[in-house]
Amino acid sequence: MTTGAAMRVDAEQLAGMADTRLVRRRRIGATLLNVVVALLVVAAVVELVVNPNFDWPIVARYLFDTNVLEGVLVTLELTVYAMVIGLVLGVVLAVLRQSRSGLARGAAWSYIWFFRGTPVLVQVLFWGFAASLFPRVGIGLPGGLFLVSWDTNAVVPIFAAAVLGLGLNEAAYMAEIVRGGLLSVPSGQTEAARTLGLGHAETLRFVILPQAMRVIIPPIGNQVISMLKMTSVVLVIGVADLLGSVTEIYARNYRQIALLLVASIWYLALTTLLTYGQSRLERRFGRGISRLEDDRA
Amino acid sequence: MPEPALRADPPIVEIRDLHKSFGPIEVLQGIDLTIGRGEVVCLLGASGSGKSTMLRCINHLEQPDRGFVLVDGMLVGGNVRDGRVHEAAPTEVAERRSRIGMVFQQFNLFPHMTVLDNVTLAPVRVKRVGRAAAQAAARTLLERVGLSAKADAYPGQLSGGQQQRVAIARALAMEPALMLFDEPTSALDPELVGEVLDVMRDLAASGMTMIVVTHEMGFARNVATRAVFLDDGLIVEQGPPEQVIGAPTHDRTRAFLAKVL
Ligand SMILES: Nc1ncnc2c1ncn2[C@@H]1O[C@H](COP(=O)(O)OP(=O)(O)OP(=O)(O)O)[C@@H](O)[C@H]1O
Ligand SMILES: [Mg+2]
Repeated sequence: MTTGAAMRVDAEQLAGMADTRLVRRRRIGATLLNVVVALLVVAAVVELVVNPNFDWPIVARYLFDTNVLEGVLVTLELTVYAMVIGLVLGVVLAVLRQSRSGLARGAAWSYIWFFRGTPVLVQVLFWGFAASLFPRVGIGLPGGLFLVSWDTNAVVPIFAAAVLGLGLNEAAYMAEIVRGGLLSVPSGQTEAARTLGLGHAETLRFVILPQAMRVIIPPIGNQVISMLKMTSVVLVIGVADLLGSVTEIYARNYRQIALLLVASIWYLALTTLLTYGQSRLERRFGRGISRLEDDRA
Repeated sequence: MPEPALRADPPIVEIRDLHKSFGPIEVLQGIDLTIGRGEVVCLLGASGSGKSTMLRCINHLEQPDRGFVLVDGMLVGGNVRDGRVHEAAPTEVAERRSRIGMVFQQFNLFPHMTVLDNVTLAPVRVKRVGRAAAQAAARTLLERVGLSAKADAYPGQLSGGQQQRVAIARALAMEPALMLFDEPTSALDPELVGEVLDVMRDLAASGMTMIVVTHEMGFARNVATRAVFLDDGLIVEQGPPEQVIGAPTHDRTRAFLAKVL
């Protein structure tokens, strides 16, 4: 161990040096980690290229296959519709949970309890089999006395069943996200709006929701991304989404790995796009707050 | 049923036997106070004496447990019919409330809107004034509080004093008949207090009726037409400020003034 005095440096010598910035110490651990990671990456790439089971020519052939592209479209549609249902219903549920009516609060709470407490796969299956639960839907009295009615299978085609299953489930999660956002806005904001004569709905729309957005957007972004992937559960009720279309193809040609790669590439491409969109939105709703941070920076 | 004849020109605020409790604590224990148009009333009292609660009862942010508050001859939150007070419709409450401006200790500006949008929101959405007209009026108000240059800034870019002046302009945009101030300078650095008090002094000089909760004794002495001292939910002393602040008769008033002066 060197003593304090021995570490003293000559100020004149230091002043004469051209560059007094620190030369970084070598960090053995970091170097070792770099080597290991580099080796693993190389091994993985080599394996991907060399292992014939990956079947890249087949991947390339099916990547833009019409059936696959149609599947991509179905997946996107499912995602959009389910998210719209989830978001709208989620906002309603979140507002109901803060309602002055105990019944409304209880109903919203029960909804969330039920739809969060059962697996989405089960819910989608339920909707797929809705026809056997309620063979006819219509207007009338409970217990099956209809004034007008329709065949359930005709009113709720399998695609609609998939959207309902995913959307109603999503609403339960969205409600909690939105509620967290609403609670994050200080109560002084509501009071200020009230004293200006704004009503309940106007306060929510112009004052509370825009501020809640900043808190809500990042988790919603995550929800959209996870929904995009979760849509693949509709396979079980026979909807030809992205995953459905590739399973149909490999059922014929037995190239499972190649076709699952095709699906993965599409899922990755789409989630990458969504991640980019999410960061754009976050910047948009940071107005007023992030601008302050920019100024101070 | 014929309504009894109404007074042509009721006082702007009439508080009778106002009681308010939070849980077991009775915060207001029977307030009686009448305020005429153009008066500037400074509300003084120790922390917890019920000043904020009283202000919040005036614009119906809190509901009285007993007694009532009339503003311009009206109950903000109710209507009298068949010998009972019935809860007023939300639109009625909102309309009556919009005639009472309120300025908070913490400003409570809307951080996601520019200064101009803060000031025009209520005129456009509540009074249905056209956007252009509302903006023109807002610019005039901002000039009055010395902030014409800040119309496009966001609240977060302004100093505390500037934010509070915007909050005053925002309240004035609804052309209130009465302005309530709840410790408008208590959250400000000392050097910013003056600019806000100046705006309030101008407002008082223009004839606005004001109820001001404050610990600024200079303002109370020079601007108020009346000082009201609240202790433990009761008005223990009131009168011209030079008398209440200069020569208090009540022990509690003296003890309070000894601390703040
Ligand atoms: N919403 C509420 N719930 C429960 N207690 C409350 C509520 N609002 C006020 N109080 C209590 O009522 C009492 C009076 O509060 P108030 O805010 O009116 O006092 P104040 O005179 O304005 O005091 P300060 O000078 O500290 O602002 C305090 O003890 C406070 O804790
Ligand atoms: Mg207070």
